[in-house]
Amino acid sequence: MPEEKKHYSDKASIEAYENAKKDNILTVYDRAEDLRPCPIGSVGDCCKHCGMGPCRIPAPKKEGEKRKAGLCGATAETIAARNFLRMIAAGSASHSDHGRSVAEIFLAAAKGEIPGYKIKDEQKLLALALDFGINIDGKDMKTIAIEVGEKSIAQFGQQHGELLYIKKAPEKRQEIWRKMGVVPRGIDREVVEIMHRTHMGVDQDYKSLMKQGTRAALADGWGGSMLATDLQDIMFGTPVPVYAEVNLGVLKKDQVNIVIHGHEPLLSEMIVVASQDPEIKKYAVAKGATGINIAGICCTANEILMRHGIPIAGNFLQQELAITTGAIDAMVVDVQCVMQALQNVASCFHTKLITTSHQAGITGATAIPFNEHDALNSAKAILKTGIDNFPNRKNVAIPDIKSPMIAGFSHETINYLLGGSFRASYRPLNDNIINGRIRGIAGVVGCNNARTTCDTNHLTLVKELIKNDVIVLTTGCSAIGCGKEGLLTPEAAMEFAGPGLREVCETVGIPPVLHMGACVDNSRILIAATAVVKEGGLGNDISDLPAAGAAPEWMSEKAIAIGQYFVASGVYTIFGGSAFPTTGSPEFTKYLFEDMEKIYGGKWDYTNDPVEMARKMIEHIDKKRKELGIDKAKGRVLFDMADRRELA
Amino acid sequence: MEYKEVQKEDFTGKKVKVLDATYEEGNPETIGTGENLGWRKNFQTRDQMLKYLKAGERYWYSKDWYGSEKKR
Repeated sequence: MPEEKKHYSDKASIEAYENAKKDNILTVYDRAEDLRPCPIGSVGDCCKHCGMGPCRIPAPKKEGEKRKAGLCGATAETIAARNFLRMIAAGSASHSDHGRSVAEIFLAAAKGEIPGYKIKDEQKLLALALDFGINIDGKDMKTIAIEVGEKSIAQFGQQHGELLYIKKAPEKRQEIWRKMGVVPRGIDREVVEIMHRTHMGVDQDYKSLMKQGTRAALADGWGGSMLATDLQDIMFGTPVPVYAEVNLGVLKKDQVNIVIHGHEPLLSEMIVVASQDPEIKKYAVAKGATGINIAGICCTANEILMRHGIPIAGNFLQQELAITTGAIDAMVVDVQCVMQALQNVASCFHTKLITTSHQAGITGATAIPFNEHDALNSAKAILKTGIDNFPNRKNVAIPDIKSPMIAGFSHETINYLLGGSFRASYRPLNDNIINGRIRGIAGVVGCNNARTTCDTNHLTLVKELIKNDVIVLTTGCSAIGCGKEGLLTPEAAMEFAGPGLREVCETVGIPPVLHMGACVDNSRILIAATAVVKEGGLGNDISDLPAAGAAPEWMSEKAIAIGQYFVASGVYTIFGGSAFPTTGSPEFTKYLFEDMEKIYGGKWDYTNDPVEMARKMIEHIDKKRKELGIDKAKGRVLFDMADRRELA
Repeated sequence: MEYKEVQKEDFTGKKVKVLDATYEEGNPETIGTGENLGWRKNFQTRDQMLKYLKAGERYWYSKDWYGSEKKR
């Protein structure tokens, strides 16, 4: 096997990586070889929360030797828990600040203060108004939208009470949260309280710390992330099935390639609109191109894919490789998962790296701050910068490799596809889980991690799951990996799915792996799981479902926040990647991996072996099937009149 | 609708013409995203939208259905 095979699993990336190596361009895997992860920090054994440290307290090498504590006396359990909580805080803050940006633009759009944005999905606006307890009788859409916008923004700064979305969860789940005292009061408050409680000398009990960690994570999943998803759907459209292509081969040699990378769709939506402007198209032709090709990387890519079918050039670990094709005239970035090394790679080519968020300064990059009050012209200015750069291209080497995919599976669309206009329903899904054609549901989500081969854990896991009749819901970079492998097409059911899942996919006409969006859209999975519970026949809570979740190549703090809100929602959640960030403290890890199940019905787990991961998830699914009494096919019983009388 | 015929062999091996599939062929192109909103375009008036929410999204917006939390 060539060395590159260790790094990337898809042929397009292998080809691009080889080209980069020939040109002596260092990318993330080269840096990963030079810089090993800190063995103490990676398992949560290092505290740097005060000026007396950092205190590194690795497990003793000899058995029976007493373990050191930090200078303040903080134990390994407290240090690991505090580190874990700060990851939850950062993750929740990232998703929720994204949600806040969307809410602010939503309210301004509702008031008619910013041109270019409008309400596209009135039905979802009505639904959200009802969720928020807004009286819609006799009010026009504008008034309703303003009230929804104001209530949305208030969720961030709310100090007391409960977040409004909590009421959408299954009733039994709400009771558990209330009993445990982990219902979020307000989104910002829970993040701030983590920062306080993890400060030197405050909360010193890992169980107490994790209560707050749970509350902040729930404020993300059932708060900031859910708001981002819903308000984006209202402004830009609730996703419906859409055909598109994925991988580096979507870049075009004869067109201006503008690649959008990051997470928020506020600007990228406008770039898509601006790229259709005849004046802009003409401008591109005048510079020698045949047109403008918009493509995406990471979760902004998923956002514009879901709503417009815009092609995806790659996921997180392909961001540098995309530039090394020499074909990208502008890479437009906003927030999250943008590598600082991008500018170095871009400087080896003609590519202009354009930073558009006032929150993300990037040394060396071109700054074109996004002005939401003049969004279309901001988008046009960015496009013109890319177009002006087209004549500066030198060598172009685009791997001629791409895959077809179907995306756009919002909760609303899945519900509709299963039942139609008159009786949209999760009933067919529940029935097929009960009769065993579908063994269970898995959410496979999350990042890529340069400590593992790009996408391999995702793909091995997903293939194992669908082979065993487990339907997979996917988001984020995991979804992009699945797309590259051809798993997001209905035909994939014929090739990869087990006989039961294949039968259902063929009947409904869906892929065995459903792309539900970006990483904030994990909230769609929460809602889908809740709908399955409420439909009936599979228990009374998410923790009763034959379901499991995984982030097989986790990397970002957002993944930890997502993991914790899934665990607290009752889901068995398993991570893969280079390490799990608490294993330096066996006691705290046991709390997450075992004890938490007794409280929330969900728990954490970890393995970096994707086949083992699949085995554990299926084992959990089978355990739940047994508890529900649907683990064995029931024989047909013919009732005679006496039996019928007994029934009455 | 225009019917198509295809040639097949009957049980004696004789070639016969039979009616081909009459379903509409799949179209891989996106026909309803963004402005068009695909199937969601089916609901134009507020009344239609609310009716759909009460039926299709009954889990949250209706009181008269029977699921795990609304047992008979």
